[in-house]
Amino acid sequence: MMELLKNLQAYPPFSLLDIEAIKEFEYAGQIAYYPSETILVEVGHAFEMLYIIIKGRVEAYHDDELINVYDNHDSFGGIEHLKQHPSNERYIVSEELICYEIPKHIFLAVCEKNHAFRDYFITSLVDRADLLKEKQEYASMSDLMIARLEKNLLHDVCIVEYKTNIKEALEKMEAQKVSALLVRNHEGYGIVTDTNLRQYILHKDEQEIKTIGQIQTNPIITIQEGELLFNVLLLMTQHSIKHLPVLNDKSEPIGILELIDLVSFFSNQTHLITVQIESATTLEATIEASKRVMVMIGALHSRGVKSRYIAKLVSEINKKIYTKLFYFIVPKEWHEYCALILLGSEGRGEQILRTDQDNAFIFADGFVPNDVEKISLSFIEALDAIGFPRCEGNVMVINPKWRQHVAEYIELFDIWVEHSTPNYLIDMAIFFDSICVAGKQSLHTDLREVLIYKVQQYPILIRHFAKSIENFDSALGLFSQFLTLHKEHKNEIDIKKTALFPMIHGIRALALEQGIGATNTYERIKELNNNGFLSREDAQDMIEALEVINTLRLHTQLKQYNSKKPISNYISLVELGKMERDLLKDALKTVAHFRKIVSYHFQLSMVG
Amino acid sequence: MMFSSFKNYWQKKGLKDERFTFLFDDPPPDEFVVFDTETTGLDSKKDNIVSIGAVKIKGNKILTNEALHIYIKQESLISQESIKVHRIRNCDLEGAITIEEGIERFLYFTRNRTLVGYYLEFDVAMINRYMKPMLGINLPNKQQDVSAIYYDKKISLIPQGNIDLRFDTILDTLALPRLQCHDALNDAIMTAMMYLKLQHSHSLR
Repeated sequence: MMELLKNLQAYPPFSLLDIEAIKEFEYAGQIAYYPSETILVEVGHAFEMLYIIIKGRVEAYHDDELINVYDNHDSFGGIEHLKQHPSNERYIVSEELICYEIPKHIFLAVCEKNHAFRDYFITSLVDRADLLKEKQEYASMSDLMIARLEKNLLHDVCIVEYKTNIKEALEKMEAQKVSALLVRNHEGYGIVTDTNLRQYILHKDEQEIKTIGQIQTNPIITIQEGELLFNVLLLMTQHSIKHLPVLNDKSEPIGILELIDLVSFFSNQTHLITVQIESATTLEATIEASKRVMVMIGALHSRGVKSRYIAKLVSEINKKIYTKLFYFIVPKEWHEYCALILLGSEGRGEQILRTDQDNAFIFADGFVPNDVEKISLSFIEALDAIGFPRCEGNVMVINPKWRQHVAEYIELFDIWVEHSTPNYLIDMAIFFDSICVAGKQSLHTDLREVLIYKVQQYPILIRHFAKSIENFDSALGLFSQFLTLHKEHKNEIDIKKTALFPMIHGIRALALEQGIGATNTYERIKELNNNGFLSREDAQDMIEALEVINTLRLHTQLKQYNSKKPISNYISLVELGKMERDLLKDALKTVAHFRKIVSYHFQLSMVG
Repeated sequence: MMFSSFKNYWQKKGLKDERFTFLFDDPPPDEFVVFDTETTGLDSKKDNIVSIGAVKIKGNKILTNEALHIYIKQESLISQESIKVHRIRNCDLEGAITIEEGIERFLYFTRNRTLVGYYLEFDVAMINRYMKPMLGINLPNKQQDVSAIYYDKKISLIPQGNIDLRFDTILDTLALPRLQCHDALNDAIMTAMMYLKLQHSHSLR
């Protein structure tokens, strides 16, 4: 048999055929060459052949709109043959085409004898419809994520003067059937909810309490009408509040948003977990509540919530967990002289599933932390118990290198900057991506500024820093075909090395050079667009590409997690549908384009 | 042109077997035969043909459905060295035919079409070695060598350049798929793809 047909047989649907059927193709098939721009089939014309692409690309258009793109190993014309239907689209060669052509009657004869093969063409039509539907549902989900706070979600406001007698105020509350009161003061508003009433009942005998103003919470957290619901959810989870007054553009209250209503938009698990973590009074309770984060991630993902929002939410919750652990475990004397920071992907707020422990302490100069060994260890052990895997690079507070005084860190920076070995550059990268989650914030803020300043003194250093985006080859070949791995990772690509890392690191290098403070990659892209470094189109493409990459990665990792397999960064192309493959391909193209931008900008070809 | 038809005339006079006069008809303009031989060595005076693979090109199509792939019976066992090169073992020669029958089938397949190949000169010399004693003539067909066409297109880009004419290099430059298995037919098919692509491309990278 011709080698060509053996190659063909390696891919579905031809892998479904036995040797006899393949031979029938061999006796009838021909190889054809078409230059770019050739129209293979016009709208309304019948297909003469089943086309199988050996090399090249064909695009299908309907009324000038691109409907589909076919690449190496893809075939087209099959459905139309089976349905005896003329083509709905115009097929044009967009990249010089070498294809294998099988005459219609031979294809149909083979279908007649091989039902699995025939069904592949028919079901792929159904799948396509399903995919389309899924895409629409996905779109409506993302609509949800970009939904804004509107008046119809709100409860009426019930406003009373601060001098109002408590009983009178409560009567008004009851009459209007509201669960929160706004209190008008000389300046601004306060709020009274169940919590305040409970406090009132408990303490009314000890203190002289007469007016509603005395039991109000003031100042209050408010939000503007039109804010993204997602941000509202974040705000409410951050502060653990159930009632949120909403103001119009003149800062007048127009209604109260109740969490329960917001919850009908989102999973209430997110809120539940934060509240449980927030209200945990023991270390054990914190650990228990934190374990439920995984369940929440799965639920959000299956509802089609964008991975970057899940990451944002998860990192918000993780921050809370870290803060809580810090105050449980770290002695009070430390709080003013110590900062707990998260580094690397945790610092960027981009870890979703495998939230590796990447953490460090910064101590104020002159402060002597007692029992530092023991305390660091119990901190790490608490994280172990929650299920955060330990950091392979040993970036953790149990490593003396990552619990130092400010002056010692600065000495370390000098060494990094001076020697710039690969390991130092990695340390630099993860420190640049750090945020402070508990303790004395300014220790971290100042230190990070020192690092940025030092690095910016050596432009050549940033070029060395950026160089590592060239460490891994793209997963796309010269002709936009996937370059997959071999042996145990056959038909897979490593999405982290080939796509995610070049993107994140390139952006990080640019952010470092431009002195951008944000740590999150999406935020950094936006900043790079704001300061004019990236064009709006490029920034948009990159955000979308990152979203596709992260979603596919999360999808695969959730599958691995659910089937109790080790979580990895390998994505199997065989398990992806054509649409997902196309999306991934586009994303990888964007990554390749971005690599070119970065490598041109830093003139990486000149860096040894 | 003059000269070649003159030469053809003398060739035709030498033809000993009338069945093959079609070899001298005018070739059809858009049909070609791409062929490749596997041999026991690289000396066209001494070594033998083990296998012949050929496909026709008509217009923009490679007629793989009418491909020719024949194995030739060997008088002595194939040596270890040459098995390593072409991977044709003695046991693969079951169903092989005599060289005389092979040459005839090749000629009936090729007819008067222009011949195309990669370093065609060698393959033509191999065929001629058997054909001359049998029929009294060498292959009279017009010939086109893809390595020569490739060289001409490439040299116009880098006039002083040293042009890499290796088979795999040409495949890569033309962005053609590489068929893993090297046998006479697969090599002929790859050469046919090269030829089609070279005919249509104006410039090379």
